[in-house]
Amino acid sequence: MMTWIKLAARNLFRNRRRSLFTILAIGLGFAAVNALGGFTAYIFTSLEDGYIYGQANGHLTIFKEGFLHEGKLDPTRYLLDEADMAVINEVVHAHPEVLIATPQLHISGLLSNGQVSTVFIAAGRVPSEVRAINGYSRGMTGKIKLFTGKQLEDAIVFGAGLSKGLAEQLKLELDATAVAMAPTVSGQINALDAQVLQFFDAPVEALEDKLMLVTLKFAQSLYDTTSVDRLTVLLQDDAQTESMRALLAREFAARGLKLEIKTWNELSTFYTKVKQMFDVIFLFTFLIVFTIVVMSVINTVGMAIMERTREIGTLRALGFKRRGIIGLFASESMLLGLAGSLLGVALTLITWSGIKLLQPTWMPPQITRRVPLEIYLVPSYMLYSVLLLVSLSLIAASLPARKAARMEIVGALGHV
Amino acid sequence: MRIPAAARPAPLIELRRVYKYYQMGDERIAALRGISLRIQPGEFAAIWGPSGSGKSTLCNLVGLLDTPSSGTVHLEGQDVTTLADDRRSEVRNRAIGFVFQGFNLIPVLSALENVMLPLQIAGTSASLARLRALERLGEVGLAPHTAHRPAKLSGGQQQRVAIARALVADPVLVIADEPTANLDSENAANIIDLMRQLNEEHGTTFIFSTHDQRLLERVGRQVLMRDGEIADERTLEQPKTSQVATLRP
Ligand SMILES: Nc1ncnc2c1ncn2[C@@H]1O[C@H](COP(=O)(O)OP(=O)(O)OP(=O)(O)O)[C@@H](O)[C@H]1O
Ligand SMILES: [Mg+2]
Repeated sequence: MMTWIKLAARNLFRNRRRSLFTILAIGLGFAAVNALGGFTAYIFTSLEDGYIYGQANGHLTIFKEGFLHEGKLDPTRYLLDEADMAVINEVVHAHPEVLIATPQLHISGLLSNGQVSTVFIAAGRVPSEVRAINGYSRGMTGKIKLFTGKQLEDAIVFGAGLSKGLAEQLKLELDATAVAMAPTVSGQINALDAQVLQFFDAPVEALEDKLMLVTLKFAQSLYDTTSVDRLTVLLQDDAQTESMRALLAREFAARGLKLEIKTWNELSTFYTKVKQMFDVIFLFTFLIVFTIVVMSVINTVGMAIMERTREIGTLRALGFKRRGIIGLFASESMLLGLAGSLLGVALTLITWSGIKLLQPTWMPPQITRRVPLEIYLVPSYMLYSVLLLVSLSLIAASLPARKAARMEIVGALGHV
Repeated sequence: MRIPAAARPAPLIELRRVYKYYQMGDERIAALRGISLRIQPGEFAAIWGPSGSGKSTLCNLVGLLDTPSSGTVHLEGQDVTTLADDRRSEVRNRAIGFVFQGFNLIPVLSALENVMLPLQIAGTSASLARLRALERLGEVGLAPHTAHRPAKLSGGQQQRVAIARALVADPVLVIADEPTANLDSENAANIIDLMRQLNEEHGTTFIFSTHDQRLLERVGRQVLMRDGEIADERTLEQPKTSQVATLRP
């Protein structure tokens, strides 16, 4: 066995330049795929962190069954009242995996500056609990301050945050007072003063001129209710998301509660879209690399076979079987694949440490601040890349190698 | 006097009415036309004749590198005409050694590694293969050059390595198609002498082709080819003496 590997290795040195180019092609392809993969991993993690911790949406959100479909038409029917919440909280807090469970009430209505008014939608939340979720963030995302002005406080019930577009529309400055109007759950029109504490960027363009952030108490007062419409649950670990969803669903059902539990990636449409986009980009890059690798290996092995036809004839005369010839060229291209992958690992590490060192920043979509650009090292990607490139090289070589193995010996020997 | 069949030694090689055709476009070329030939174990046979007479074709068929269009080839009494490709490879590896006109050494392997090759194909351990290869290289007088790559060796030296390689697996038969065509006359004579000597020492059967009449000196069995047929055959009784054979094509 070693003899043939040695023979294959020496054969690669016969045309150094050609072998080098093939190894380079494989190595660069490897690095391209892995750098992109590492960047993608960083983006996904950042988006996930941003959604779960930065925007404090947690891993799971619990609604009354039907809320997501019909809640818009008849919000009051799908609210969770105090009795519901007591049971839900009891169930949820029985699990040590649950770090934080915080209620929300989303409201909509009109916001007025005294002269003009416009539609707003707002999340009513408990500011201290939102901050607690922010605090669990692993990366930068949870720590980036996403607003200008002051933070909301539990004690400042009528403090509110406005998306910049909304504030501009109503020409509201920080510390100004606006009036929020909405129908209560029983159908009367209600109005409350809100004090503008902060401006922020809406995470979605379409909401830029509508979004508002209020305290839960404010939302409940405006709707004149003690109910909420959802409970946000933060878990210890992303990996617990699905199992906890299933577990909680069973326990709620056992208590006779008709609830619906959504996971963070089901609710984060932005994450899903970006993921799909990156998956497509990744696929394209991968296909390009795939093509380059296959073409250059086929070319290298094909040329080698042409140049070494007489040698193939000789080996066959000495007793090499057809599969021996295939094996020889397969080993050569496997070595090419391995060498290319090793180079690829090295290039990926260089890229990674270069980025670590230089710490470039960039402005991702939907975020208005420069953040550090990172590439994660994903060992599983690298391992798969090695396996894939080596087997690709093998498969690519088998095409010309098969032809070589089928050559007539006499013809091959007579080849000059 | 006729020798009874049972008393005659079984031939190592037997060709029966062998034809070989090549298709060249619309034309069918008959390279061999009904060759019947027996080679006994231990013979040192020369196949000679003008260019295009079918010497190489004959060597290729005997060496199991090619198959006849019709007729049969027997090796050690076994019909090898229709053996499957893998079996033919095994027979070549085990029973037949090859020496080529162009030496055909593997350029990336040292002289020693080239000689080890047939044994390693057979699955012999590297250490044993090395031992036997060194022995063969010694026999052909190349002990000081075992580590050299072929490019570092002269033509005559390369052909000696090739002879060592052909003999390393102790084959019953060595086929050498024009082994001296790429050598000067002195080296050519040396190579034939070496083969002759090995033939005598080991009893290995040698078949070599040439169109150089001068090399037929001291060759026991001479087969003259012409137009794909055997034009003349001669067996000399005392080939070891400096008797000169003079067949005229
Ligand atoms: N692959 C082939 N295709 C077509 N014709 C061939 C082929 N090989 C040999 N021939 C023809 O068969 C005949 C015998 O060829 P062969 O090579 O056996 O002759 P040879 O005696 O070895 O000649 P030389 O001394 O030149 O080597 C020639 O006419 C040759 O042209
Ligand atoms: Mg010839």
